[in-house]
Amino acid sequence: MSRISDMLPRHFGPYGGRYVPEMLVPALEELEQGYLKYKNDPGFVAELADLYQNYCGRPTPLYFAENLTRELGGCKIYLKLEGLAHTGAHKINNALGQGLLAKRLGKTKVIAETGAGQHGLASATVAARFGMGCTIFMGEVDVRRQYPNVYAMKLLGAEVVPVTDGTRTLKDAVNATLKYWIQNLRDTHYILGSALGPFPYPVMVRDFQSVIGREVRAQILEREGRLPDHLVACVGGGSNSIGLFHPFLEERGIRFHGAEAGGRGLNPGDNAARFGSTPKVGIVQGYKSYFLQDDSGQLQNTHSVSAGLDYAGVGPELAWLYDQKMVEFAAITDVQALDAFRRLTRLEGIIPALESSHAVARAMELAPTLPRGEIMVVNISGRGDKDIFITAMELDRENWISFLESEVRHGK
Amino acid sequence: MENRIDRALKGAGGIQLMTHVVAGYPSLEVNAELIRLMARCGVRLMEIQIPFTDPLADGPTIMRANQAALDVGITPGHCFELCSALSSELPDVGFMFMTYANIPFAMGMERFLHQAAASGASGVILPDLPWDETDGDYAGAARQHGLHPVMVISPDTVGPRLDAVLRRASGLLYTTLKVGITGAGSSIGQAGVDYVRNLKNKAGLPIAAGFGISRPEHVRMLSGLADVAVVGSHIINLLDREGMSGVEDFLLACGRQG
Ligand SMILES: Cc1ncc(COP(=O)(O)O)c(C=O)c1O
Repeated sequence: MSRISDMLPRHFGPYGGRYVPEMLVPALEELEQGYLKYKNDPGFVAELADLYQNYCGRPTPLYFAENLTRELGGCKIYLKLEGLAHTGAHKINNALGQGLLAKRLGKTKVIAETGAGQHGLASATVAARFGMGCTIFMGEVDVRRQYPNVYAMKLLGAEVVPVTDGTRTLKDAVNATLKYWIQNLRDTHYILGSALGPFPYPVMVRDFQSVIGREVRAQILEREGRLPDHLVACVGGGSNSIGLFHPFLEERGIRFHGAEAGGRGLNPGDNAARFGSTPKVGIVQGYKSYFLQDDSGQLQNTHSVSAGLDYAGVGPELAWLYDQKMVEFAAITDVQALDAFRRLTRLEGIIPALESSHAVARAMELAPTLPRGEIMVVNISGRGDKDIFITAMELDRENWISFLESEVRHGK
Repeated sequence: MENRIDRALKGAGGIQLMTHVVAGYPSLEVNAELIRLMARCGVRLMEIQIPFTDPLADGPTIMRANQAALDVGITPGHCFELCSALSSELPDVGFMFMTYANIPFAMGMERFLHQAAASGASGVILPDLPWDETDGDYAGAARQHGLHPVMVISPDTVGPRLDAVLRRASGLLYTTLKVGITGAGSSIGQAGVDYVRNLKNKAGLPIAAGFGISRPEHVRMLSGLADVAVVGSHIINLLDREGMSGVEDFLLACGRQG
C-alpha cells in the first residue's frame, strides 16, 4: 500500500498531507488507488481526451493580444482563453476528470463546493452528462453575488445548498461539502474544485488542470518557436495557476506570477492575500499550507470582489513554490481588477471573469516594465458573464438598477 | 501522580459518561457551572473543546457553539484558565482538551501540551491530526506531559490502520458509532455497536463510544460493551432548550442505566 502511494506526491516540501479525521481516510485511500489505477489507463485517458475536445472545445485558443500589447508598450502578451471552454472557465477540466473517475469507481452521486459558481456549474454539468446525482454547497454570500451560476446549476438538475456558517463564502462551502461527504462516503464522490484539501486532491486536480499548460506549451512553440518568459495567473485555491505553471516548472528562465486578491486593502479581513505581509502556515481543511489566520490559528475573514479568489487558504504546491521563490505573488485590489476588466473588454473584445481580471491587472503592471522581445502568457481562467450582477452594479449602476426594477415589475 | 482518566476508569462498575463542553459557549461562567453540575451527577470524564473556526468533525450543534464562542472572543488562553480552575476544584474529574490541528500547530505542539498539562488536563483529543503525518505523531510527547493521547477512530478503522492507532493510543480509545459527524441522533446503529464489541476484545484499553448519543437507552445499549459513553451535542441541545435542570435530569437518567 505505502509503496503505491509513494508514486503520487503526498507532500510538497512540508506542505500538503492528509490531515483528516480517521474516518475519512478509507475514502481518500480509495480515491488515491482509483486515481493511480486510471490516470494512465488508455481507456480512461482516451475518453477524457475525447470529452475535452468534443464536449469542452479544447484546445482553447492561445490568442495574441495585439491591442493590449501595443497599449502597454512592453512585452508581447498572449491570452490563454480558458473562458471559451464549455461552462466558461477552466473548472470543467478538473470536474470532467474527477467525474469520469467517480463513474469508474462506481459512485452514483457527486458533490462539490463552489465560490464563484464556476466549479459548481462544471460539476453540475458533468453530473448531468454522466447521469449522476449532484449537490452543490455554496456560501450564502456567494449565492447572492453569483446568482446566474446558481440558476444554471439548478437548471442542470443539481441541488444548491446555501451555506450559512462562518464567513458564508468558499471556505465554509468546503467545510460543508466535506461534512456531507463524511456522512455519505459509500455512494458519493466529492469533486473538490481546486488544487488543495487532503491528499490526493492537490496532485489530482493539478494533473487534470495541467492540460492548460501543456496546450500553451504546444501553442506557443508553434506560434513563436520558443517558450514564454512569463506566465501569469490568478490564484484562488490555485488550480488554474498550477495547471498553467506545472508543465513549465522544470524550465529555466521562466518567471511565474500569481495574482492574489488584494480586496479593499491590506487590513486583515479586507483581502485574501495569503502571501501578503506576514504569511503564516497552518493545518486546515485537510492540508498544511499558508492560511490567513490570527495568532491563535483561527482563520480570518476574507474579502474579494471575486468570489473565486475569496478564500483563506492556498494549494500546498504553490506554498512550496513560494518558499522556493519559484512563483512570485502580488496582491491586486478590487479596484485594479475592475479597471483591468474594463480595459481588456474594450481593448480586445474579451470579457474576463473577475478572478481572471486579477491576472490581467498583474499583467498590466508587469508588461510595461518588460522588454518588447519577451513573451508573456496570461491565463484568462474564465469569462465574465457570471459577474454581471457585480460588474453592472459597479460600472453601470443606475441603468442596471432601473433594469432590475423593471424586470421585477414586469415579472409580477 | 496517577492520570485522572485512569483513576476514573479503574474499578468503575458499569459504563461511565463522558461529556463535552465548548469553552465559552454560552459563556465561561455557564461552562463552570455546568461542569460542577455534571460532576455532582457523577460524570468523571469531560471534554473541553477549544473553539475553532473550521471544526471539521462537528455537526451543526457543536459548530454553532464554536462560532458563538469565537464571536465573544474566546481564546485558547481562556480555555486553559477554565480547566485550571475546575480541575483544582474537582480533583476526581479527568479533563481532556479537544480541538483541531491548527490550534496546537499555531501554538507549537510542545507548548500546547505543556499548557494543557499545566492546567490540570489529563488528555488531549485532536481528531484531524492523524498519526501518519509528521505533526500528528504526538502520542509520545503527550504522555511525557502526563496526558493521554485519546485517539478517535470510526467503524471503518480496521486492519493495519487500527493496529497503528492501537500502538500509539493510551488511557482511552474513542470510537465513533457511525461514520459521520457529531450531532445528537435518534438511534444507534447495530454496525457501530458490533464494532465496539470487536474493538473491546482487541484493544486492551478502555473504549469510549460516541456520536449520536442522546437518550438514556443509548447508554444502556452500550453498557457492557464500551467503558464510556460520550454525550456531546445533546448536552448543548439540552442546555439551550431546558437549562441546567434539563442536563441534570438527563445525566441522572443515564446514571441509572449503567
Ligand atoms: C474563473 C475562475 N478563475 C479562477 C478561480 C480561482 O480558483 P483557482 O485558483 O483554483 O483557479 C475561479 C474559482 O472559482 C474561477 O471561477
